[in-house]
Amino acid sequence: MTPSVVSPEAHPPLRPVEFEILLTLANGERHGYAILQEIAERSRGELQPETGTMYRALRRLVEGGLVRPAARKTAREDDDERRRYYAITALGARVATAEADRMARLVATARLARLLPHTGS
Amino acid sequence: MTGSVDRTEQRLRSAYRMLLRSYPAHFRDLYALDMEETFVDQLRQARREGILALLLLLLTSTADTVTNGWHERLAPQPKGSAMFHWMDVRYAMRLLRRSPMFSLLTVMVLSGGLGLAIFTFSFLHTAILKPIPVSDGDRVVSIRQEVGTNSSPFDAVDIVAMRTGARTLTDVGVYTSRIFVLGDDTHPRVIDATVADWSMFAFTRARPALGRMFKHEDAERGAEPVIVLSQRLWRTAFGSDSGIVDRTILLNNVRTHVIGVMPTGYGFPVASEAWVPLANDVMSTSRFGENEFQVYGRLAPGVNAERAHAELRVLYKRARETDRANASGDVARKIGEQNIISDVAVETFPMAQVGEDGPLILTVLNILAGLILALACINVTNLLLARSNERVRETAVRLALGASRSRLVMQSMWESIILCVAGGAIATAIAAWGLDAINAWTKANLEGNMAFWWVWGLDQSAVIAAGLFVTATIAVLGVVVSGRATSLQFVAVLKDGSARSGSRREGRVVRTLVVTQVATVSVLMFFGVLAGIVAYRVANIDVGFDTRRVMTTVVGLEGDPYAKPELRATMWTNVQRMLSVAPAVNHVLLRRTIGALTDESGEFELKDQAVSDKTTKPRAYIQALEGDVSTLGVTLHSGRLFDSRDAQGGAPVVIVSQAFVDKYFAGVAPLGRQIKIARESAESSTDAPVAGQWRTVVGVTSNLVLGVPLSPTRSAIALFIPLPQLNPRDAEILYTHRGDEAAGQVALYNTLRTLDPKILPPDIRSYDDVLQKTSLIAISTAKLFAVCFAFALLLAVSGTYGLMARNIGQRTREIGVRRALGATDATVIRLLLGQGGRQLGIGVVISLPLMALVGLGFSKFFPIGALTALASALMVGTSIVAVVLLATWIPTRRAVAIELRDALWKE
Repeated sequence: MTPSVVSPEAHPPLRPVEFEILLTLANGERHGYAILQEIAERSRGELQPETGTMYRALRRLVEGGLVRPAARKTAREDDDERRRYYAITALGARVATAEADRMARLVATARLARLLPHTGS
Repeated sequence: MTGSVDRTEQRLRSAYRMLLRSYPAHFRDLYALDMEETFVDQLRQARREGILALLLLLLTSTADTVTNGWHERLAPQPKGSAMFHWMDVRYAMRLLRRSPMFSLLTVMVLSGGLGLAIFTFSFLHTAILKPIPVSDGDRVVSIRQEVGTNSSPFDAVDIVAMRTGARTLTDVGVYTSRIFVLGDDTHPRVIDATVADWSMFAFTRARPALGRMFKHEDAERGAEPVIVLSQRLWRTAFGSDSGIVDRTILLNNVRTHVIGVMPTGYGFPVASEAWVPLANDVMSTSRFGENEFQVYGRLAPGVNAERAHAELRVLYKRARETDRANASGDVARKIGEQNIISDVAVETFPMAQVGEDGPLILTVLNILAGLILALACINVTNLLLARSNERVRETAVRLALGASRSRLVMQSMWESIILCVAGGAIATAIAAWGLDAINAWTKANLEGNMAFWWVWGLDQSAVIAAGLFVTATIAVLGVVVSGRATSLQFVAVLKDGSARSGSRREGRVVRTLVVTQVATVSVLMFFGVLAGIVAYRVANIDVGFDTRRVMTTVVGLEGDPYAKPELRATMWTNVQRMLSVAPAVNHVLLRRTIGALTDESGEFELKDQAVSDKTTKPRAYIQALEGDVSTLGVTLHSGRLFDSRDAQGGAPVVIVSQAFVDKYFAGVAPLGRQIKIARESAESSTDAPVAGQWRTVVGVTSNLVLGVPLSPTRSAIALFIPLPQLNPRDAEILYTHRGDEAAGQVALYNTLRTLDPKILPPDIRSYDDVLQKTSLIAISTAKLFAVCFAFALLLAVSGTYGLMARNIGQRTREIGVRRALGATDATVIRLLLGQGGRQLGIGVVISLPLMALVGLGFSKFFPIGALTALASALMVGTSIVAVVLLATWIPTRRAVAIELRDALWKE
């Protein structure tokens, strides 16, 4: 599918679940259940998106050209069942980086405002 | 254990798959499979964690799927979905271009079926349902008096009473058709004009093409007589002379002022050559029995025909009771008897024109057109299924590569949609051509005899009908195509390498199609054969005598001047004598039928002949005659014809036909024998029967076949009595002209005018003209039906062959296996013919009740006897059996002729 947005700056702000998906896929291709599991683990169970919510987010990311469906393959060597894997695109990586930067700036601003304690040196 | 676990998972997986239908198709195409896999992973995890986790998952998954599914449905469509459809359209177009023969054949079959359906619907819509083309045409109604099953005009007195009390109608007008002689005696022309309220033109809000319409003053007593001409009369009688307005013409020998010409196509309330205003005071001064009129009206806003009928019925019944109270003696009794069976009918003009059988005709003809369309659909379904079989491996590969079934269904659907739309466009053109052709034909052959609203063409309703028929066809074909795509087991296809997967289901579909085809064709062919028989009989109608140059009309002697029988006798004799000597006239015969073979009116007794059972009295056609019987080609066999001795008060005599002699006087001399007619009365059937007297047979004539033409009860067994001894109120005047039909007409008008100027000129018809028109309509209708049914038959033959050939072709390998296991060719042929025979049997059984219904319908409206219907049914049945068995035998022969080795390897 043709990406609708090519510049990461021009991309609209990501929803939390979309950012979580990009973060997960930044570590490599994942199938749907693996994405859900990883998001839940990373957030220590605080964020557990429903299947429908995640796939609707995936649909938006695919249409935006941030994620692409990869080939179907088995999850484990001993498993016959093939799963659809999803991978982050170069644009998706740039958008995720831009979003992470934005969040980092927000965190820095919050520290300056003493909303967060300073850490490190 | 594993098995049970798997089954649970499978069930839950299926349930989840169902839930996923909450999502829109384009979303499902891309993510449904992935979501299902994710759900299965979650399910396995939850089951490992325990029942609570499982329940929680099921609950949240259900809520999540439904909620997100509908959110996704309500979300704006992704840009890509339109692109998918466009890609599918282009793909379908490419496929159709690649198979030009398939595309052409399918479009031809569809355009034929759809064209017939659109044409039939539009034709009948214009004829029966469409509002008439006048202002507020949907609210204009015809109000008729119905006595028993017959429609008749209202008495002026009753109309006045109803008009005064009616609140459901905004305007009520009256009219009657009347014959006028236009021009002088040297160049006369008989015209059929409408005498109507002066306000009639204003009622229809019409404008004249030339001059003006009627004004109130035109209808005042003593005003100068005026006339408005129809476009046709202006064209044919006055050569479209633009200076006709304000000229004076002779109408019934009265100088009449032409004040206007109406535009082409105007013919309210009935087809008419001219309009003459009805004097304003006629209605108010009429006494009961003096004047009768037809009535039209406009429904008040918000009032429907049923409500108007309810109100008018009350007013009518009240008026009729007043009529009865004001009358006395026999007249009061007659009115009372009529009141029991009389009612008011309020209908649109088209419905009134076609009568109470109109809706039935509409339904039957539309069903027939629908059946032909169904046949076309069956054929196209067969072609599409054959095509999908050819592409089954391609479809399976695409499914295996991850294409969703809905996407494949849509792609197949686009193919059907393109074919149907192309077929629909051609069908609409065919229907438009057919409607124009009908219009041109009726204008050329029936102008002046047709309702003015019968103008056919491709109007809005025809286009809407075309759209609906095409949509319905797409839906029908879509169900079949999508059913095929969704049922395909791609694993089986790819493993097997053939189209056998799902073949049992498809076999059922093919068998169902064959059964439907057999049933449909049986009904259509049966209808076609019966219609052909009726058309042949009507086209070759035998009225029982030589009709060349014979003119006929009925004249009534109404009112007080003819109260005494001797005055009527004198009048009838004078009419006969004076008309006989007119230069344009050859033979003249006055006739009044008083008895028929079909009911008690025809009963008689023979003197000196014992009647064993009173309930079975002999019957004959009984007529009173005066004048020259050679008018009807009747000749004298023995004795004498009626003459001056047989006047009123003369000795009671009777003449019998040769057929009568053969039946009742076989071997004895008929002359001098005596016969008594049981009900010797010339009055209406409501009169008490008058006991006859013994009449002496004075002559025997040649046979004259009497009775309703085409009726099975026609017979030449007849008795004739002298008309002066009966003195009826009305009689049929039959006469032959010497070659100039118009002069013949004028001769009768002049005779009647000379004898009694108050007698209204009757409608004189020429048998030649009536029979020619009847024959023309019958032959043309038969040709139209023949084209329709030939198309249906072609569809049936080709379709049945196609279905059987494909079905048997798919079983080639099975046939090979049977042969390899020792079955002989004869056994295989018997087996397949037997299976074809079963489908045939089921189809025929299904069609039997429908055929019985068609047969009953025909016997009700047309002269089709049970034997003819049965013979036709047998002929149709035999033809269908032959077609189906032949359609089975040919591909079976082909299948068994294949080398065994090739058959076993055939895909």
